[in-house]
Amino acid sequence: MVPNPRFKQVLVLSTAMLTFISFWKAAAVVLCDMGSSAYYAGGIAMNAFGPSFPWYVLAVMVFAGLMLMVYVESCAMFVRGGVYKVVNEAMGHSMAKISVSALMFDYMVTGPISSVSAGLYIASLLNNVLPLMHVNWHVPSRLVAVVFAVAVTVYFWFENIKGVQESSDKNFKIMGFVSVVGAVLMAWSLWTVYHRGFNLPPFELKFTQESLGWMTHFPWLQSVGLVGIFMAFGHSILALSGLETLAQVYREVEDPKILNLKKAAFAIFLFSLIFTGGLTFLSASIIPPDLIGGKYLDNLLSGLALELDGPYWARLILQCFVVVSGSLMLVGAVNTSLVGANGVLNRVAEDGILHDWFRHLHKKYGTTYRMINVVALTQIAVILVSRGDIYLIGEAYAFGVLWSLVFKTAGLILLRFKEGLPRDWKFPLNISSDRGDIPVGMILVFIVLITVSVINLFTKRVATVAGVSFSLIFFVVFQVSEYMNRKKAQLYADSGDPEERLNLRKEADIATILPELTKARKILVPVRNPNNLVHLRSVLETADDETTDIIVLSAKMVKGAQLDADSGSISEEDKDLFSPVVLMAEKYGKTVKPLLVFSNDPFYSMAQVAHAAGAEEIVMGVSGLTGAEVQLEKLAMAWGMLKKPGDASRQVLARVVWEGRQMTYQLS
Amino acid sequence: MIRQSDGVSLASIITPETVVFMDGTPSREEVVRRLTEAMLPLVSGIISSQALISRVAEVEKLNQVLESGFYIPHAKFPELHNFFGVLGVIPQGFDDPATGLKVRAALLLLSPHKPAYFQLHLNMLSRLSQTFQPELIEKLAALKDPAAAAALVTGK
Repeated sequence: MVPNPRFKQVLVLSTAMLTFISFWKAAAVVLCDMGSSAYYAGGIAMNAFGPSFPWYVLAVMVFAGLMLMVYVESCAMFVRGGVYKVVNEAMGHSMAKISVSALMFDYMVTGPISSVSAGLYIASLLNNVLPLMHVNWHVPSRLVAVVFAVAVTVYFWFENIKGVQESSDKNFKIMGFVSVVGAVLMAWSLWTVYHRGFNLPPFELKFTQESLGWMTHFPWLQSVGLVGIFMAFGHSILALSGLETLAQVYREVEDPKILNLKKAAFAIFLFSLIFTGGLTFLSASIIPPDLIGGKYLDNLLSGLALELDGPYWARLILQCFVVVSGSLMLVGAVNTSLVGANGVLNRVAEDGILHDWFRHLHKKYGTTYRMINVVALTQIAVILVSRGDIYLIGEAYAFGVLWSLVFKTAGLILLRFKEGLPRDWKFPLNISSDRGDIPVGMILVFIVLITVSVINLFTKRVATVAGVSFSLIFFVVFQVSEYMNRKKAQLYADSGDPEERLNLRKEADIATILPELTKARKILVPVRNPNNLVHLRSVLETADDETTDIIVLSAKMVKGAQLDADSGSISEEDKDLFSPVVLMAEKYGKTVKPLLVFSNDPFYSMAQVAHAAGAEEIVMGVSGLTGAEVQLEKLAMAWGMLKKPGDASRQVLARVVWEGRQMTYQLS
Repeated sequence: MIRQSDGVSLASIITPETVVFMDGTPSREEVVRRLTEAMLPLVSGIISSQALISRVAEVEKLNQVLESGFYIPHAKFPELHNFFGVLGVIPQGFDDPATGLKVRAALLLLSPHKPAYFQLHLNMLSRLSQTFQPELIEKLAALKDPAAAAALVTGK
């Protein structure tokens, strides 16, 4: 007779098995969103306040560097340091809901502006290429843009329904291609400028009636130079979109996280400054102003390619590359917006401020399809309403970007005065005081943000009306959801099916999971108490993610007949245990493999999993009930029981770790 | 680090003199008591009977019957410099109330309570649970003779 297996089922928490990415890849993910604004920001700004637009786009890119630093500080405090988390911590639930409403508006417009812009670039290319192929058909740009944008949105809607996540590898390749095209475009532009000479763009601001918005009712304000500068800055601020992606991607950044985050932020800043700021500046220097305001208004970088010195065929080839690279980047931004919006909605749903109806999982794909449907349908509605007018979407766009940044920065300033929130990095320019550091630097950033946001409320009528209405709708949805969830929670305490909300995978045997453990070393880390994860921290601090699989095992006690039944379900208690495990793994940027087994002997389960996986180490936290020695004794007996008589080959290192101490023994 | 090869051998603790056959279906407590009684002469002059009985009773609560149906009540004493064991064979076995498993073999193990010996202690526990697999326990339960039992376990 062979000992019975002490567990029958293994539950793998696949949601927790993050893989971590380099700072280059993290930067690529953000840039696919943020960098894409290079294709349309200049044209929209030109339309709003005339030929001085490159100065302001450049200024916005410099300001982006400051905002990136704001995000680095928030991520240094919270692994998931997005707008919602920061505002919730600093200003409470209601303000968090308002800020998320604004952020959702940002996402709802990011997709459409990117896909419509890509469509406009493609249409412009077709209008250049088709005559060469003797097809005398003028492509209606806006119609093509709308059709393309809807098609792209539907495509990514389905991809997200299927749960095909944005791949950082894909983003990295796109950004590589975009960088090469951008470098060629820039080099060629500089060569052209060298030959032709150039004049610096003017500083003079020429606002249209449309871009003045309600400011036309305050003529005395228009005479104040600084107000004009802020107005122009506000019309260019859409080039800043995509920062929130940094907070989302941070959880996936590999160890050492903060250092890699800083590197990613610097790479994003440099690329944005050169690519968006530099190319917009060169466009204004090379393309005649009447063409910028005319045929190249909605495809500025195509215009740059076509207006360079050189034979037409070469410029047309360059335009092809610009359009292909731009389309890839812009289309990537559509996906990022869908993934981002879904991520934010899932995050707020976890806090009960989105009705459970939205959290229903797709039967086949297990994704939160109702949230994805809402986001995709709204984006399609925005595309249709815009009728391919990029300026109209651009007008609306800045609202969400700005107000979410306003709330976020205000939240971070307030958090400076809240005790017990350590951070690994601070935004510079601080003055020490008794109540904590006064963040002078960040306050200055906030003053700029709030000034631009308030001025935009007056100048950008479309943004104000659409943004306020939309945010209000979302806010009401959040309020009602929260009310209904609270009521439901009172009526049916613990009635939900928690397993449904976790990407759990049941396996009948540990053997089926083994092929997933591909790294050379394996460390088993049993966990039981969410407040005692010192041992996990010690492993995460020292293990090399490249070479080591960290298996985090919770052996859930079940007795007798329960073991034979289909016991595979996860409770709130299990979720409470695994949530800090996942957060800690994210914090250290290392992948863990969380497993939950149902067992009547946790030590036997540990030994069995370690034995099957070929683990070199078992690292336990100390038990307050029995003490380290008893734990090691039980594990030694369980380990011996798994070995065949006479088999002396298999050994494992057993460690019990607690604050400042550890016991290490070899089990043979 | 002390390893298994550093002198842990079942033959050093299991001899014909340290094997006890128990008839009937004694309770778990009864088995532990009889093993303790058999242990007393082995450690006399080193550990007092009172200390042994109370310590074994104390740690016995923490010990769990192994899945194989083997039970290893064990205790550590600072006075000891060697390992001591008494093997109990219960052919009819008893049902362990905590696990519901039938126990037909139990070994009371006493170890030195010194840091240097803890690795050996773990090695010994591991070796015991490795050795006392269900097949061996079946064979043990079929025997009547302590010498044969000791030989079966130690392979000598």
